[in-house]
Amino acid sequence: MTEQALSGGRVLDLTHYVAGPYCTKILADYGADVVKVERPGAGDPARSIGPFPGDIVNLESSGLFLYLNTNKKSVTLNLKSASGVAILKELVKGADIVIENFSPRVMPGLGLDYETLKEINPGLVMVSISNFGQTGPYRDYRATDLSIWGFSGILYECGEPDREPLKMGSNVSEYVAGLYGALTSLSALYYRDEGGISQHIDVSIGETLHTMQPSMTLVFCYMEFIRRRAGIHFPWGILPCLDGYVGFFLPTQTHWESLCVLIGMPEIRDKPEYETPLHREERRDEIQGLIVDWLKDKRMEEVFHAAQELRLPLTMVPNPQQLFEMPQHIDRKYFTDIDHPSAGKLTYPGEPFRLSRTPWHAGRAPLLGEHNEEIYCGRLGYSREHLLKLKDEGVV
Amino acid sequence: MSALPLQGVRVIDACIYWAGPMATVLLADLGAEVIKIESVQRPDYLRLLGGWPTPDGYEWSAAFNGTNRNKYGITLNLNHPRGREVFKSLVKIGDVVTENFSPRVMENWGLSYDVLKKINPHLIMLSMPGFGTTGPWRNYVTFGPNVEMVSGMPTISGYPGGEPMMTGYIADPIAGLMGAVAVVVALQHRHHTGEGQYIDMSQMEAVTALMGGPIMEYAMNKRMQPRRGNRHPSSAPHGVYRCKGDDQWVTITVSSEEEWKRFCDAVENPSWANESRFNDNASRLENHDDLDRLITEWTSQREKAEVTQVLQRAAVASVPVLNYAEVMNNPHIEERGLFETVNRPVTGTHPYPGFPVKLSETPINIRRPTPTLGQDNEYVLTELLGMNKDEIEKLADDEIIGTSPLGWPYATTDREEAISRLKDIHGKDA
Repeated sequence: MTEQALSGGRVLDLTHYVAGPYCTKILADYGADVVKVERPGAGDPARSIGPFPGDIVNLESSGLFLYLNTNKKSVTLNLKSASGVAILKELVKGADIVIENFSPRVMPGLGLDYETLKEINPGLVMVSISNFGQTGPYRDYRATDLSIWGFSGILYECGEPDREPLKMGSNVSEYVAGLYGALTSLSALYYRDEGGISQHIDVSIGETLHTMQPSMTLVFCYMEFIRRRAGIHFPWGILPCLDGYVGFFLPTQTHWESLCVLIGMPEIRDKPEYETPLHREERRDEIQGLIVDWLKDKRMEEVFHAAQELRLPLTMVPNPQQLFEMPQHIDRKYFTDIDHPSAGKLTYPGEPFRLSRTPWHAGRAPLLGEHNEEIYCGRLGYSREHLLKLKDEGVV
Repeated sequence: MSALPLQGVRVIDACIYWAGPMATVLLADLGAEVIKIESVQRPDYLRLLGGWPTPDGYEWSAAFNGTNRNKYGITLNLNHPRGREVFKSLVKIGDVVTENFSPRVMENWGLSYDVLKKINPHLIMLSMPGFGTTGPWRNYVTFGPNVEMVSGMPTISGYPGGEPMMTGYIADPIAGLMGAVAVVVALQHRHHTGEGQYIDMSQMEAVTALMGGPIMEYAMNKRMQPRRGNRHPSSAPHGVYRCKGDDQWVTITVSSEEEWKRFCDAVENPSWANESRFNDNASRLENHDDLDRLITEWTSQREKAEVTQVLQRAAVASVPVLNYAEVMNNPHIEERGLFETVNRPVTGTHPYPGFPVKLSETPINIRRPTPTLGQDNEYVLTELLGMNKDEIEKLADDEIIGTSPLGWPYATTDREEAISRLKDIHGKDA
């Protein structure tokens, strides 16, 4: 296989669910050797989440797991046993990066804190991803994606003004933390390889999500105000058309003028009651009504192209089905088919960025413990009998 | 030995607005020397979008000032052939070039990767336009919010039974974060082989990658995730609950039967907690509306901090919904040191958000505030490019460089008046 950007990099992956696995997915997809350590029996809890083909629960066919664990190798290991911990330490010897996303007490509790692992492998870069970080008053707080959104400050601003704030429909906070994990682990590896030393990286999902807004704390510092939830109103819009929705943000005078042309009403451009942005904000419901009327019998794609002809920042707002049908995705072959022994051939989101010389690889997620022999016997030198014994003892 | 992970990496940064500069601020935080290029003809658009209608309003954009720390700022008119020459001189001594223009722009300037690679064979170049550098939409116009819309996020976000909603402005920073990851991946390859390469990143593809769950749901079962507000498909209770005071909320999410029992104990086992219709997860999901009403009766009598404390003590996931002022004053955030007090020309001293990840041996800090327009022209042109005074004067005379935007329209508005107008339109006092 052609060399990939991260070929030669060895990652020991103790992560589960979403945040950690998305980090290690990026590393694996671009060529790192990622060995994923899973609990014997149930494996990564994401295996139980689904979706499942035909809604039949199958630990080898969970859509979330399949997407997040492409290109990784899987070994099973029981970290609650002393032998399991000892075996992990052996695996650590052969790694450049160890990544974990347990709550902060867990690794030290198992005797696997950074200081200990560094002694085993002085060149080790260790990444710990947790809800609030390894330190601080919220360190041991329990949290889910929704909790993190509330903590980040972003949730407060989203939704309608007279009801509860509203979260995004995908667990974005965890993907964001995973990306920061990939960014910092590779930077730390770069630093180490350029003559620096290795280190421990502490990713706090709450703090990383907080950076996903346009410095609104500075808005408060400069102007001493907090923005109200406003729902979506003109010059914003996500409005229905014949076969779906279109979305736009049209704040400027030029946008307004082009919009009037788009909806076949060039004459209202200069009406005094729509003269300035402030005027138009006051009459936003009225303006929105005009647009909705015009959209009623138009298809998303035709509106999109007509708007773009006028250089209007307006796009389609596709549902998942329509996403697959978008010409830009089809032309760029963004969605990729990957075959899997349990789930069969499915279409996955593909490369998030394209490197001209070193390709991304569309490999499948592993079966639970699929690489036990390859890793334990092949790399650690265990005999087959020893491996069987470990399985019997529940260590593997 | 250097003190920061990417020290020694020089980025020639032509990115504008938010997505691109987000990528390069992260590289700058990690120690890269990022030379950010604006022009007096066209300052970074984010200065204008977030700027104030005052004479120095282009230095008061919070979004711009929060997204460009740790960078060096120069001006260079790339529409002028001499400006492009200077750009090429920078590329020669650089490691990475970054830009997020529409693909035609760098091409029309004669600054595409093919050309720049000849000047610097080891160059890594990142192009991150809205739709990518190829395809039928390559020349289409996008703002960040458009990328979020076209990723499909809004159709899976919204109140139950409601219309698609924008829930945050996060496409730009997600794309930026992905761009930074792309650069460090390419740096790995270059470290091992000496080879640079070209990176084509579509902001839309980067953001769509974060929709794994809903996309797999459709791929597998041809089913589309419904809009369910703050609810969870398979556990209850899960939501945002009103607390005492004006617009005060807390999140409560219960993920297991054990956690449900702890929750009931924590709220002192009111009679409804033991009703059979809330006994197991499936029943709670079915009766979520009623459950929410009952929980709200409890939370609405308490401050959100109290709810959080009581529930976390019982190991139940509950965290307050903070506004941005509260984030800055939050005890956890304070101890973690996410905000650093920085003094900046024009705007003065304020707390600025820093890098949100801690590295044990190479801690990341705000080393220099967001530059003012053209602030580092002298440093870059003399120290890095070895230009003399005459050459620099000529560039200034021809308006290829400078420190004041041409044609800034707001010469006369009063700052207090501007603030008051902005407040009227958008906000309330904290």
